[in-house]
Amino acid sequence: MAKKTYDLLFKLLLIGDSGVGKTCVLFRFSDDAFNTTFISTIGIDFKIKTVELQGKKIKLQIWDTAGQERFHTITTSYYRGAMGIMLVYDITNGKSFENISKWLRNIDEHANEDVERMLLGNKCDMDDKRVVPKGKGEQIAREHGIRFFETSAKANINIEKAFLTLAEDILRKTPVKEPNSENVDISSGGGVTGWKSKCC
Amino acid sequence: MEEPPLREEEEEEEEEEEGDEAGPEGALGKSPFQLTAEDVYDISYVMGRELMALGSDPRVTQLQFKIVRVLEMLETLVNEGSLTAEELRMERDNLRKEVEGLRRGASAASPEVSLGPDKMVVDLTDPNRPRFTLQELRDVLQERNKLKSQLLVVQEELQSYKSGLIPPREGPGRREKDVLVARTSNASSDKEEKTIIRKLFSFRSGKQT
Repeated sequence: MAKKTYDLLFKLLLIGDSGVGKTCVLFRFSDDAFNTTFISTIGIDFKIKTVELQGKKIKLQIWDTAGQERFHTITTSYYRGAMGIMLVYDITNGKSFENISKWLRNIDEHANEDVERMLLGNKCDMDDKRVVPKGKGEQIAREHGIRFFETSAKANINIEKAFLTLAEDILRKTPVKEPNSENVDISSGGGVTGWKSKCC
Repeated sequence: MEEPPLREEEEEEEEEEEGDEAGPEGALGKSPFQLTAEDVYDISYVMGRELMALGSDPRVTQLQFKIVRVLEMLETLVNEGSLTAEELRMERDNLRKEVEGLRRGASAASPEVSLGPDKMVVDLTDPNRPRFTLQELRDVLQERNKLKSQLLVVQEELQSYKSGLIPPREGPGRREKDVLVARTSNASSDKEEKTIIRKLFSFRSGKQT
């Protein structure tokens, strides 16, 4: 077996309405690329990216969920294993911002209590079509005590910063110890609920 | 229940046609309920002809006026009767159509009636109709993600080998080959080694045979 090429594994989750750009945000971060064609995510997908923080190699396993209502029973079963959750809305779509409170309630219901949350207002390059003022995003983030960034996957604004900040926040809470095989072996799926093939 | 009398009526209508073919005298043999204005005229013709044959007796003339009057009354009654019959026939046809429509509507609506507010109708001819269960999708996605994570592990491992980060594993097959190469090279340079090895080899082969 190959030696582990990382020290820690963090599991992150992207949630938010359909079409706000969750997959594009992730694709920008993992592959530094952007694609304008909209293909709705089917259920759940993930990408891997290894980053280095405070001298530690951290493997980020980022779960990308379908925003469509019909996939919710599948996607909510993945909340439990997440250490960090990014709530994404689209600054040109008022409804997607209104639904943030609904997504926050979903987190309360399905995720771990100590999960690190972050709010992203995506598509900030489209300022001419903006309907959600930056202040409203900042306000709701403040109310829930979470970080907030306006991002653009297309123009590559704040994407890396958001992921690294979330990873840092998780790292800060992580007790310093030698990683055991349970929390670094990505093939096991670890604490992700619903990943029954390997954990049972 | 309704059908038999209707059929009877139709048969009677056919008889009426036959009566027409029988000539003016035939009208007198008809059922009074089947009588038409034409039949009354036929009867008038037949009776008028017979009255004429009786000659110009004033009593006959008196009787003729009365007969004409009676025939006129009959004509009115027959006309009114046939109008009423026609109206009833139309009403019957309308009712029949209405019943048929209701029956058809009821049979078409019956499956919808059994559907609750949360039910969905699936068009079986639609190639894109929903076919798989949520559990099936869940299973496929889990398998896909498991395979994807395994692929990533394998890719990473392959990269490590390629970049020389991990030395090639020392397998038993490889070790034997290395030793064999060492032996042959030593054998050519060192005579003593060669004999010892030969001894060893002959000893081994001797033991084997």
